[in-house]
Amino acid sequence: MGKVIVVTSGKGGVGKTTSTANLGTALALLGKSVVLVDADVGLRNLDIVMGLESRVVYTSMDVIEKQCELNKALVRDRRVDGLMLLAASQKNNKDDMQPEQMKAICDKLRTTYDFTLVDSPAGIERGFRNASAGADEAIVVTTPDVSAIRDADRIIGLLQNVEIEPINLVINRFSPQLVGNGSMMDQADVLDILNIDLIGVVPEDSGVITSTNRGIPLVYEDGSPGAQAYMRIARRLTGQRIPIPDLEQKGLFSNILNWFTKNR
Amino acid sequence: MNRSLTGATVQIDLKSPTLNDDEIDYLRSTLREDYDLIVRGVELGDDSVSPPIAAAPTTHTISQMTDAPTTRDGEPSRIVPCTIRSGQIEEFPQGSLIIYGDVNSGGEVRAGGDIVVLGTLRGNACAGTNGRLSAVIIAMDLAPLQLQIGNCVNRSTTNEKPPGYPEIARIGPEDVIVIEKFVKF
Repeated sequence: MGKVIVVTSGKGGVGKTTSTANLGTALALLGKSVVLVDADVGLRNLDIVMGLESRVVYTSMDVIEKQCELNKALVRDRRVDGLMLLAASQKNNKDDMQPEQMKAICDKLRTTYDFTLVDSPAGIERGFRNASAGADEAIVVTTPDVSAIRDADRIIGLLQNVEIEPINLVINRFSPQLVGNGSMMDQADVLDILNIDLIGVVPEDSGVITSTNRGIPLVYEDGSPGAQAYMRIARRLTGQRIPIPDLEQKGLFSNILNWFTKNR
Repeated sequence: MNRSLTGATVQIDLKSPTLNDDEIDYLRSTLREDYDLIVRGVELGDDSVSPPIAAAPTTHTISQMTDAPTTRDGEPSRIVPCTIRSGQIEEFPQGSLIIYGDVNSGGEVRAGGDIVVLGTLRGNACAGTNGRLSAVIIAMDLAPLQLQIGNCVNRSTTNEKPPGYPEIARIGPEDVIVIEKFVKF
């Protein structure tokens, strides 16, 4: 029996879809069977980020309306085995879907695939409720800024209300330079507020923009720091214990200070 | 002035010695005659005392009230065993609230009596919603957006980090909320 994980954030633009695409691809590269479900009905993007937009024939709405079988609606990824996409309908809106219908789809996918990653839309309304309806676990994506963190906090509260557990945190677009000069919150500040388990920190990586435009997830580019971070998170999702590297660049002064406090 | 403080022993902490001896004597006699407060001592220029947020229009804070207000007796209280997150409201008009966790930005706690946060208070807290002006708000780290006691509202004006010790907010002189280092009830 596989796991259904909803990838959500509350705030838009923090990297839910990018994270879903990259984690799904990374899990498939690790040999897992994976299906990505776009729950952003009416504003679908996951097909573009995966480079599969020209192959989408049926959507989850067609499955719900019994226009086609679930298996027929799944789009197979060209680059890696065992990776499928269930696209969202672009012509419907979120109220056309019921949470129970999404749950039924997730329940079916769980029996076949190791991982079902559901890409949630921004917001806390129907779209979010649809996306989380069938989820066993959650990944909350946030960026280290106060507005994203407040929204993540709200989402965590809602996920806890429906007893989705565990809820793991991904800090995205982390900039060691900005933390170093004190203009960005560090990991400890974010965790202090949100108080859930951290599963990974993805550094700011301009490669994300080109990879999105080309429809090739970043994880295919082995050398990029973003790709490495997503691969590590995927390994942690499979149960491997991999430490989270300290991305924070300490200045010379604080290094000296650390040395003194350690050796005191 | 709060009636429940009548007869209390107080210590006057002056952040900076802006009052001369005559003024301090005047303050001492006024406190005794008008408010029945006994001044135990006066400390001058002690910078370790944190100034009230949203600066109370006075240059002093009166701290370390030794007599606990008695209105808490017999009042029910509710323990909340988790963090109050953004968008969540915890309300308890019947008495006091004790939070075993944080109150995050966007979250709100409202109590008829006191509010004690055994964590960081980053959101909004409203104590004494039934109009009880002796209600207090205590947090291990007090970094709220807004505090309300009775109908007296204060908002945070600084982005400074909390000082790292527990603090207590209460209605001080001139009906403004003052924040002090929390020592004990």
